[in-house]
Amino acid sequence: MTHMRKVTLFLALAMIAMLTVGGLCFGAEKYPTKPIQVIVPFAAGGSSDLTARTVEKFWTKYSPQPMLIVNKPGAGGVLGEEYVVRSKPDGYTIYVGQGSGHDVVMPHLQKMPFDPLKDITPVARLSIHSIVICVSGKSPINSMKDLIAYANKGNKVTAAVSTAAGSVDLVMRAISKRANIPITTVPFAGGAESTTALAGGHLTIGGGHPSEVMPHLKAGRFKAIGVALDKRDPVIPKVPTLKEQGIDVATWGSVKGVAVPNGTPPEIIEYIASTLKKISEDPEYKKAMASISQPIDYLGTKEWAAFLQREYKDYGDLIKELDIKI
Amino acid sequence: MDIFTGLINGFSIALMGTNILFCLLGAVIGTAIGVLPGLGPAATIALLLPMTYVIGSPVTAIIMMAGIYYGAMYGGSTTSILLNLPGEAASVVTCIDGYKMAKKGRAGAALGIAAIGSFIAGTVAVVGLTFFAPPLAEFALDFGPPEYFALTTLGLLLAVTLSGGSITKGLIILIVGLLLAMVGLDPISGKIRFTFGSIGLQGGFDFVTLAMGVFGLGEILYNLESTLKTEIVTKKLGKLFPTLKDWTDSKWAILRGSVIGFFIGIIPGGGSVISSLASYAIEKKYSKHPEEFGEGAIQGVAGPESANNAASSSSFIPLLTLGIPGNAAIAMIFAALMIQGITPGPFLVAEHPDVFWGVIASMYIGNAMLLVLNLPMVGIWVQMLRVPYGILAPIIVLFTTIGVYSVQNQVFDIYSMLFFAALGYGMRKLDFDPAPLPLAFVLGPMVERSLRQSLLISGGDLTIFVSRPISGTLIAIFVLLIVGQTAFFIKRTTRGKKTAAT
Repeated sequence: MTHMRKVTLFLALAMIAMLTVGGLCFGAEKYPTKPIQVIVPFAAGGSSDLTARTVEKFWTKYSPQPMLIVNKPGAGGVLGEEYVVRSKPDGYTIYVGQGSGHDVVMPHLQKMPFDPLKDITPVARLSIHSIVICVSGKSPINSMKDLIAYANKGNKVTAAVSTAAGSVDLVMRAISKRANIPITTVPFAGGAESTTALAGGHLTIGGGHPSEVMPHLKAGRFKAIGVALDKRDPVIPKVPTLKEQGIDVATWGSVKGVAVPNGTPPEIIEYIASTLKKISEDPEYKKAMASISQPIDYLGTKEWAAFLQREYKDYGDLIKELDIKI
Repeated sequence: MDIFTGLINGFSIALMGTNILFCLLGAVIGTAIGVLPGLGPAATIALLLPMTYVIGSPVTAIIMMAGIYYGAMYGGSTTSILLNLPGEAASVVTCIDGYKMAKKGRAGAALGIAAIGSFIAGTVAVVGLTFFAPPLAEFALDFGPPEYFALTTLGLLLAVTLSGGSITKGLIILIVGLLLAMVGLDPISGKIRFTFGSIGLQGGFDFVTLAMGVFGLGEILYNLESTLKTEIVTKKLGKLFPTLKDWTDSKWAILRGSVIGFFIGIIPGGGSVISSLASYAIEKKYSKHPEEFGEGAIQGVAGPESANNAASSSSFIPLLTLGIPGNAAIAMIFAALMIQGITPGPFLVAEHPDVFWGVIASMYIGNAMLLVLNLPMVGIWVQMLRVPYGILAPIIVLFTTIGVYSVQNQVFDIYSMLFFAALGYGMRKLDFDPAPLPLAFVLGPMVERSLRQSLLISGGDLTIFVSRPISGTLIAIFVLLIVGQTAFFIKRTTRGKKTAAT
């Protein structure tokens, strides 16, 4: 062999050796060794997105690798979740937004391309917030009683909901059944669009999350007439619950959890859950979540899985009892 | 704080060293991603969002992100003019006359007038923003589902009339575009449509895939047939900058485009697409030589480019004054503000005047920077046209494929792009103008959604569209345009019959 060829061969073998050894070393390191992709199934600026970004802000305090937030909106959350369901279970694709309407309401009402309870593994719960029923600031309606009176006079009641067959949609239909007034739900492409339409006064009522409606409430463009929870929401304590106003509709609110694809190793799940727990106890994080009107409600892996099952069952019962169909 | 004090305060913030630096950085990044296919301003801002936590001052972060956003509009026109490749839906209209100008050797003039027009439009928009933001924002709120329906349907009509060729062919392409837009999930009920069981299609087709396939690869496939071509431009390249005549021809187009873009851009949703369409239609109408449109009329570039730049600046109005994001990129900026603890909305001026005025002031500066950046680059860009097509075409294929893949990281998208390339090739062979296709693809879903929402609200009553002032006016314009076109068509054919009979 010529000298040049020998050198080339030597270099090539050396590089292969380095890459192999390097690759092995890489594999043996502790998770996480590269940035973690976080899929948010809703548009930027919504409550799930803001929660994920707030978590991301504090994640690097407790973990060596950052989170990469990727919005994959569509079909009320189904598209983004499906992407995670079909992703590799290596811990580098996680899902924030589990427990919302598309997980616990939609499966009862229409066919889904996957089973949200079986095809994905729950990791932890981050937050629960209420669904706030609002009317336009210029509306003559000030309470649920006014709304019922308004409907009974023969006026059409239209409700802006963020997505079809989502939790807000369900609450509106439940109110319609329980208060015995016809309500037509009009779906939009997300919370921002539906709250904008309501702000323009194009619909009678609307439902949203506190983080979405708070700016409008403060500006006087909205009036909050009820929350669909068992007890008053601590973020807007002045607003009475629907139950207090005689309408027996209370849901678990809008729940935000974290999930990973089936088959993810348990140590990785444990790592993510415990890091999230540490973040939930961080005082700076508490301040940040308060500024986006998002209550902190951490729940560990096993309890979260059990909670999801209960949520699913309760919504199923409610839908069956009220005979709600899309 | 009144407006002038606020502005002075804003400029003092915007002219700070760090802020100028980040404004420039944003503008450069924005121009770069506007030129490169695939990555759009929304995705870029999303990637850079974590930077905002470490920059320190929220004003600096927002200044940079705003720079990326309107910078992308400047960059988008470059590929539209030079390569007939629209980076965004708003740039499709620029392709029509811009590319024709490039083929005639007038690429420099087209690029130059686009840059100048964008600068003037951006400045007009920011001035408007400064003085008229709050009442205009309230006007934007008046747009409910019926108004959106009327506006987007009008946009569809404009898209058809744009195709220089026959209206029938334009309508066929429009319907193809609408059908393609229906693939995926139904926006109202969430049911799956037209996916034939494929998972990759469940999200529907992506605009970038369609644009790159139909315009990029389709064009290349078609050009491969004519073996005589060696460069895109065989004629002498001509003057690099717009002449004085170009300027006098375009100045009204630029002004009209700025105003149109400014007002339509405030409306959340279809802002920049519809404004560029409307500007093109109006310029064609008011032109003394309407037959030039479609063959390289400079007003056909100046007007729409000004319009879409004005629209991208005025889309900040609903964000800053009402806290309503109008599109995906603005939504990212909204999220960035919220994370910093700043709630955009009517209280922004009072609670964080430095953010409000600092961002507005930086937009004046950013527009000036972009003009300075882009004008000298015209000479460099135009040289690209000299590259032998045999080398340029594979490079285009490479960049568009990477761009398409980068959107969703799905190999399936590349197959979709090949499908669109075949479609684009077929359209050109059969002498169909592809311009209405991406426009219908973007506007179609909006039309459908707003129609169904409006009917839900009205309970099936169609009069909702005419009983409301804004939608009523838009529908009236729509009807007038159709009646006008039909009357013109009838007159032409009867005259033709008469002359044939004699």
